[in-house]
Amino acid sequence: MKRVLFALFAAITAGSCDPVHDDAVAALGGEIAGVRPGPLHRPGQPCLVCHDGAFGDPRAFSMAGTVFLYGNSTPPAIGATVTLEDKNGTTTTATTNEAGNFYLTPDTYSPHYPVHVMSLTSGDASVSMHSHIGGNGSCAGCHADPAGPDSPGHVYLHVYGATP
Amino acid sequence: MTPRALVPRLFVSLLSATGLVAVACSTPAPDARFIETVPDTTTFPAVADMLIQACGSLDCHGTAARNLRLYGDTGLRFSPLDVPSTLFPTTDAERAQDYDSVVGLEPEIMSQVVASGGMHPERLTFVRKARGSESHKGGAVVVLGDPRDVCITTWLQGHALSSACTSALLLP
Repeated sequence: MKRVLFALFAAITAGSCDPVHDDAVAALGGEIAGVRPGPLHRPGQPCLVCHDGAFGDPRAFSMAGTVFLYGNSTPPAIGATVTLEDKNGTTTTATTNEAGNFYLTPDTYSPHYPVHVMSLTSGDASVSMHSHIGGNGSCAGCHADPAGPDSPGHVYLHVYGATP
Repeated sequence: MTPRALVPRLFVSLLSATGLVAVACSTPAPDARFIETVPDTTTFPAVADMLIQACGSLDCHGTAARNLRLYGDTGLRFSPLDVPSTLFPTTDAERAQDYDSVVGLEPEIMSQVVASGGMHPERLTFVRKARGSESHKGGAVVVLGDPRDVCITTWLQGHALSSACTSALLLP
């Protein structure tokens, strides 16, 4: 019994020995009031900071993110189709939910980088990403707000659309 | 061993330790300079555009945290007024920064490679990492002899082969 407890203690403490990761998690802040942890939570945040498959963390994602409708506001793009293609030409699609979130798990898609976002499509609107994803499966790992020299801002669908 | 016999040994040990400390604490002369033999600047823009496309995404070398820091249209921007977007093309200032970044990585070895006409470019860490022959998180983004490789190696030889650099932009 003591050995089991010791192993459990060691595993738990080992899981919290990465201060960089701990800081990254802390920087995300708390949950939004009224939104429970689940598929609709934390839109626009870098999903894989927590969904990285580490011990004690929520289940792993291979690629995940949020699609918004517009560049200068954050209504979600609901039901948008995200089409990805990896280095080997393997493609997959995901559909955004009510929060604009989408996610893929390693058992369904484990890409070989670089990955290209072939299209974000919703109705008649469709855009693609000009550069590739080099290794970060979180959209918001690069697409963080506010936009600036080191970030294009959040992912959005209507490039030339006006905010309603 | 008598205490008297220990004295010479202690003296030698102390002298050696003093010498080691002196060597460890010595610094180059304040006016010492290394003049790097640098590769071509005129054909580098084509190399820069290839590097930006292949290596410069925001989650790879398009970040200020990298030793090989690359600026470019689809990655990190040099001007605080620009954002990553093909709507704002790569600027000459960004290509100049990229040049400094590449040639500043290993100035002594770069000098040797350039002075030898580009022989054995794998002496450079950035070439080994690009080819995947040295640990590289991004894997082998360059295959020996492919357009990216030719673009880099011809630049190190003297002048980048522009057709190779252009072809490299079409690689995934």
